[in-house]
Amino acid sequence: MSKRLAGCALMIGIAFGATPSLAADDAATRKDLAAVIALQGLPCGEVVSVRTQGENDHVASCKDGNRYHVFLNSAGRVVVEKQ
Amino acid sequence: MRTAGIGTLLFALLTVGCSGVKPTTPVEPPRSTAPQAGGGAVAPALPPPAPPSPPQPPVVAQSETAAVAPAASSTAAAPAAKSAAKAEAPAAKAPAKAPAAPAPAAQPPKKDVAQEAAKPKAEAPLDLTSLETRLKETKAIGLMTKIALKNQVDDLLNQFRAFYAGKIKTTLAELRRPYDLLVLKVLSLLQDSDPTLAAAIVASREAIWDILSDRAKFANFASN
Repeated sequence: MSKRLAGCALMIGIAFGATPSLAADDAATRKDLAAVIALQGLPCGEVVSVRTQGENDHVASCKDGNRYHVFLNSAGRVVVEKQ
Repeated sequence: MRTAGIGTLLFALLTVGCSGVKPTTPVEPPRSTAPQAGGGAVAPALPPPAPPSPPQPPVVAQSETAAVAPAASSTAAAPAAKSAAKAEAPAAKAPAKAPAAPAPAAQPPKKDVAQEAAKPKAEAPLDLTSLETRLKETKAIGLMTKIALKNQVDDLLNQFRAFYAGKIKTTLAELRRPYDLLVLKVLSLLQDSDPTLAAAIVASREAIWDILSDRAKFANFASN
């Protein structure tokens, strides 16, 4: 019983400890994608959510309702496709 | 509970202590037998401090040698990475355009013109390597944004290559617009989070354009 409690406490502690860093990474990704979309001259405003499909492959949902697939193609170019 | 009680006690002691402090009255020195002029004066009046001397105008050290030399020839970085930073970093505006140290009015106009012409050459040397490194390492721009910028820089450089090869019919004035826009994009990304680097890019904006707009310099830059 005590071992279970200790394990649960450890997991909760790890979760709480890791949450701020994950949130920071998510915010940085959203900011990065917003900048990339803006560089392409596409409307977005603010990226509110990101779905990561792979390495350097994201689907960004914007505050204005637009959604973009942002990824790195085989030629090393950043591609932004409206969905 | 105990700590709260201790804290309350300390607060009360401080309050009592502060309220009990009375302003100290200055103790008058014992009066001597000889009458003093202006009896209440205790300290002799200090001479007024000398007014500070006006600050000397900064002497702008200007060397006669041309400082705008492409640092690309000395860099050992990959061409793709170099192109990303070098085309992005704008050249410095000529100090002739900016108000410099005031020249004495007694100088003849010819010397002023000579000084104005010499000022662009006396710019600090363009350190493309340093700019490139700083752009790569800046935390103000995310990874994908850096790659996207690099793509746009490469596209611009390809336009210049095509222009100098005669493959596209355009002018340098028309190429200046995408160059300025690209610089503005970079500055907009850097100005809040990395203002130092943004200032460095602004300062080197004209020097970089000088390289891009000169066929020989561009060829030397592109070959490295």
